Amino acid sequence: MGTGVLDVDDNNFESEILKAEKPALVDFWAPWCGPCKAIGPAIQEMEEKYGDSIIFARCNVDDSPNTPAQYSIRAIPTLILFQDGKVVDQVVGAVPKTSLESLVQKVL
Amino acid sequence: MSEDLYDVAIIGCGPAGLQAAIHAASKKARVVVFGKPRKSSLYKAHVANYCCYEEPISGKEILEAGRKQAENFDAEFVEEDIIETKNENNLFSLVTESGASLTSRTLVLCMGVSRKKLGVKGEKRLVGRGVSYCVDCDANFFKGTDVAVVGNESAAVTGALTLLSYASTVQLICRKLMVIDTLHDRLRESQVKVVEDTWVKEVIGTDEVEGVLLKNGDTLNVKGVFVELGAKGALELAANLGVVFDAETFSSIETNKKQETNIPGLYAAGDIVGQPWQIAKAVGEGCVAGIEAAEYAKKLADS
Repeated sequence: MGTGVLDVDDNNFESEILKAEKPALVDFWAPWCGPCKAIGPAIQEMEEKYGDSIIFARCNVDDSPNTPAQYSIRAIPTLILFQDGKVVDQVVGAVPKTSLESLVQKVL
Repeated sequence: MSEDLYDVAIIGCGPAGLQAAIHAASKKARVVVFGKPRKSSLYKAHVANYCCYEEPISGKEILEAGRKQAENFDAEFVEEDIIETKNENNLFSLVTESGASLTSRTLVLCMGVSRKKLGVKGEKRLVGRGVSYCVDCDANFFKGTDVAVVGNESAAVTGALTLLSYASTVQLICRKLMVIDTLHDRLRESQVKVVEDTWVKEVIGTDEVEGVLLKNGDTLNVKGVFVELGAKGALELAANLGVVFDAETFSSIETNKKQETNIPGLYAAGDIVGQPWQIAKAVGEGCVAGIEAAEYAKKLADS
């Protein structure tokens, strides 16, 4: 059981994600984005399952434009998996849950 | 279409939507159905496995007969796509492609499923690197750039018009536009450049989109390609309302046996709810959704 999906922004992205000891999966999303809403529950579910070993976070691209720009994000939802401050892999769109599973398996 | 309140609004006029309309209207609910019959996957089909019809029947005939039945119960039909949905104060408000709006006590989603990808070279590789399937989600990432929209119908045209507020130039690539006149007029009066009678052959770019190669041999230099085929579907119209999708693929809407979604007053029926994609299932679910929606609307009106 994890501690819930963490909200991150331009200010704390470095400390919470890039310098974190654990790997982190960050969901770049926005409130008006239908596909982002559709996958939201699945990310919460994964957090409950893997939250002990992976940080699950979300970054609102509307409030925090700099971080998505830094990672050349041009579509949401984009989910990026980080480890030791580096991008391990990423997926774009409301992808099937099996794709989310295989993504997190890369750091487990 | 009158200005006041409907009991049951139905998006989609395939078998699920028609059966929902027939049952809701026969219960004296005030019903309106949106959609274009020609866009139903049934329209060009011949059905040989629908109960009680021994000889194959034409899908077109089924759709036309269903509409007449629903109209006999005073259901109204509007041959337009819906481009926006909202849920406020227990009411659903809808905007059509011509810009008309209305409110309803309940909403039944029967818009089916449709292909959203082009399936051309470069497309899959550049998703999220300039290729997008959602103008409403991603327009903001293309401020001040040159973009193209691909599609022949309402999602593409309204998407291109939306992008004018963000991108510096917008080109609409289409074979032949299939939208209602008022939307066509808005497009003609806009700054969108329409590239007609052709289609995308390849999306070009190494790390990000650099352009599109068209079937007529031309190349458009653009940073963004928005693929907007058909009408807006479930992810665009329903997810915004907070509807829960199937947990595995996010491609169909979750309902219970009453065809209720997780949102009170919101129902779904037919292909959009999941497989098998069969007329018999669509009709059965439409029946349940129509009855349930009419009853819910009546309770809401009486409260």
